[in-house]
Amino acid sequence: MEIPKKKVAFPIFGNYNLCIKYFVEQALGAEYILQPPMTKQTMEIGARYSPDSVCTPFKSSLGSMIDALEAGADTLIMTFGICRLGYYGELQGEILKSLGYEFDFINLSDYSTGKAKDYLKALHRINPKVPAARLARVSAESIRMLTCLDEIEGEYYKNCGFELQHGSYKKAWRRFLLSMETAENLHDIETAYRTAKREFASIPINKPSNPLRVGIVGEYFTAVDEFSNHNLEQKLTDMGVEVHRFMSVTNRNLRYHGKNLSAGIKEYCTYEMGPTSTANIWGAKYYASHGFDGMIHVKSAGCTPEIDIMPILQNINADYKIPVLYLTYDSQTSDTGLETRLEAFYDMIQMRKQEIV
Amino acid sequence: MKKNAYLGIDIGSISTKGVIIDDRNQILASAYIWTEGDPIGAAKKLLHLLSEQFDKETYQIVSSGTTGSARKLVGAMINAGIVKNEITAHAIGTTTLHPDVRTILEIGGQDSKIILVEHGVAVDYAMNTLCAAGTGAFLSSQSKRLGVDVEEFGQIALRSSHPTQIAARCTVFAESDLVHKIQMGHSKEDIIAGLCQAVANNYLNNVGKGKKILSPVVFQGGVSKNAGVVDAFKKALGCDILVDENGHLMGAYGIAILAGRSSLRRPFDFSVEDMEFQTREINCGHCPNHCEIICVYRNGELIDAWGNRCEKGAPKLSPFYIS
Repeated sequence: MEIPKKKVAFPIFGNYNLCIKYFVEQALGAEYILQPPMTKQTMEIGARYSPDSVCTPFKSSLGSMIDALEAGADTLIMTFGICRLGYYGELQGEILKSLGYEFDFINLSDYSTGKAKDYLKALHRINPKVPAARLARVSAESIRMLTCLDEIEGEYYKNCGFELQHGSYKKAWRRFLLSMETAENLHDIETAYRTAKREFASIPINKPSNPLRVGIVGEYFTAVDEFSNHNLEQKLTDMGVEVHRFMSVTNRNLRYHGKNLSAGIKEYCTYEMGPTSTANIWGAKYYASHGFDGMIHVKSAGCTPEIDIMPILQNINADYKIPVLYLTYDSQTSDTGLETRLEAFYDMIQMRKQEIV
Repeated sequence: MKKNAYLGIDIGSISTKGVIIDDRNQILASAYIWTEGDPIGAAKKLLHLLSEQFDKETYQIVSSGTTGSARKLVGAMINAGIVKNEITAHAIGTTTLHPDVRTILEIGGQDSKIILVEHGVAVDYAMNTLCAAGTGAFLSSQSKRLGVDVEEFGQIALRSSHPTQIAARCTVFAESDLVHKIQMGHSKEDIIAGLCQAVANNYLNNVGKGKKILSPVVFQGGVSKNAGVVDAFKKALGCDILVDENGHLMGAYGIAILAGRSSLRRPFDFSVEDMEFQTREINCGHCPNHCEIICVYRNGELIDAWGNRCEKGAPKLSPFYIS
C-alpha cells in the first residue's frame, strides 16, 4: 500500500516560502501547502493565541500556521533562530496542539546542533527514503531560486519608483513570482530569472542620475516581510525613491561572513551582538558612507537585539550626518502613523538634498 | 484685481488651527478651537471664524492646504490643493519665522516630535511611537484628576519651589505614582510642577534621545503654552527657550506657506460652510483582510475614499472628482 503524501507547510516569510515549496516537492516528494497571503485576520488570530509581550513575528507566524492548517496542511515546519526565535517553535507547537489541531510538528530547533546529519533526521521525518544525491541536487537548486528571488526583488525596489507607466514593474514582478511558484526544475528557475531580467530591462524608466536613495536595516522578519512592515519598501518607491535592503537570506545566511563584516565595523562594535546585529551595523555603515540620503531602521516591538543596535545607529547618524528613521511595528493595522512618518522623512531628505545641490 | 491669499488648516486630535496669509507670509486671519472629536464640525466652525476676520473685498484665497491627523478628511472637504504631514508643515512654518533656529521641540495633544534644523532645512527628526506618554493628552487627563484647568497649570507650577518627583517613563506608571504622591500629602503646586517636569524629562528621554539639541531652541505645540513645561525645559537644557506667541498656529502657518508655494491653484470660497458632509465606514469584502474604507460624502455624493490596501478595494468615484 502506498503511504499518502505528507502535506507540508511553513509560516509565511516574505517570498521565501516558494523556495521551501520547491524543496519539499522536488526533493522530499511531499505536497506543499502554500497558505493564502497574510491578512488582518491572520494577525488577529495569531495575536489572540499568543503571549502578549512576545514580538510580532511570533504572532504573525502563529497566525499563518493556523492559516496553513485550515488550508489542509498536516505537517508544519518551524525554523530555529539565535534570539528568542529559537524557543518559538516549541511554544507555538504547544499552543496549536492545545487548540485541538492535529499535525506533525517539525521544529528545527530540535535538530539545530550544527551537524548535517541531525538536519537530515528532520527531513527523514517527511520522507525517510529520500536519496542523498537528490537532496543535494535539489538543495542547490532551491538555493539558486532563493538568490534569484533576492536579486530580482532588489532590482525591483531600486527601479520601480521611476517607471514611466505605472504598474509595469509590478506586473513583471508578479509574473516572475508566479513562474517561481510553478517551477519544477532548474531549467524553469533559470528561465524565470532570465525572463524577469529581460522584462525589467525593457521597462522604460525615467531615473535621475542622482536619485534619492534610502537604505533599510533592521529586524530580519519585519524588514523582509512586506505584510509585517506594511509595504514599507513599496510606499517609499511610490514616492520616487531608490530603496536598498541589505537584510535578506542571501546576505544574512548564504553569503554571510561575520568576521569580515565585524572587521569593517570595528570602530562601532567589537563583538557579536546578536543574530542580525553585525550585518545591520555593517549595512548601516555602508549606506552612511556611500552617500545614501537616509536610512530606516525597522523592528517589531520588543525585539531586544534590534533595540541594542539603536545606540550604534545613533553614532553612525552623528558621524556621517545621515538621517535615520526608527520604525517600530506591532500588531496595529492602521497605516496612518506610518504614512505620516514616511512622508515627513521623504520631505526632509528631499529638501536636504536640494539644499546640498 | 484682488490680492492673493492662502489658507492653511491644521486639524489635530485635540485642537484645530487655521490661518490665512498673504503673499508676504503675513497672517491675515487666524483661529484656534477645540476639535472635540468632530473634525468636520470643527473645520466648519473654524472656517466660519476665519471668514469673519477675513477681508473678502481685498483678498481672494487662491490655494489651500491641510495638515494634522485629520488632514485627509478635511482636505477632501475643502478640496485642498496640498495635503501634507504635520512634521513638514511645522518645520516650514517655524523656519520661515525663525530662520536661524537649530532645534524645534514640539509637544501636541497626542504626539510629540523633535526637528533638527541646519541652514533653515530640517535634517533630522523623531516622533514618539506607540505611546502618548508626556503629551498634552496626558496633562489634560491629569488636570481633571486634580480639579484644575489645564490652562492654569503653568502659573501654578511656577509657584512651586520643590517639584515632586514623578516617574515619567510611562503614563500608566506616572498616574499611579501621582495618585500615590497626592495621598502622601504633597501640595498641589509641587505635584503640578512635578508633572510639568515629568513631561519635559519624558520628552528628552524618549523623543530627544541621542539627538544633539543646539540653541536657538523653539518650543511649540499646545503644551508650549504651559509655562511650567517651558521652565522645566530651560532647566534641563540649560539654554533659553523661545516660545512664539503664534507657536500653536505653526502647523497651519506652514501648510499655508506650502499651499502658496505649490503651483496648483484651487480658489476657495467659504461655501463649504453650508454643505453637508458625511463619512461612512465600509469593510471591504474582497479578501479576508477586511480593510476599513472611509467614504466621504458631500451633500450625499461620494467625493473621496481611502483605507484600502490593494486595488481591489479602490473606490469607484465619479470621473468628475478624480484629479
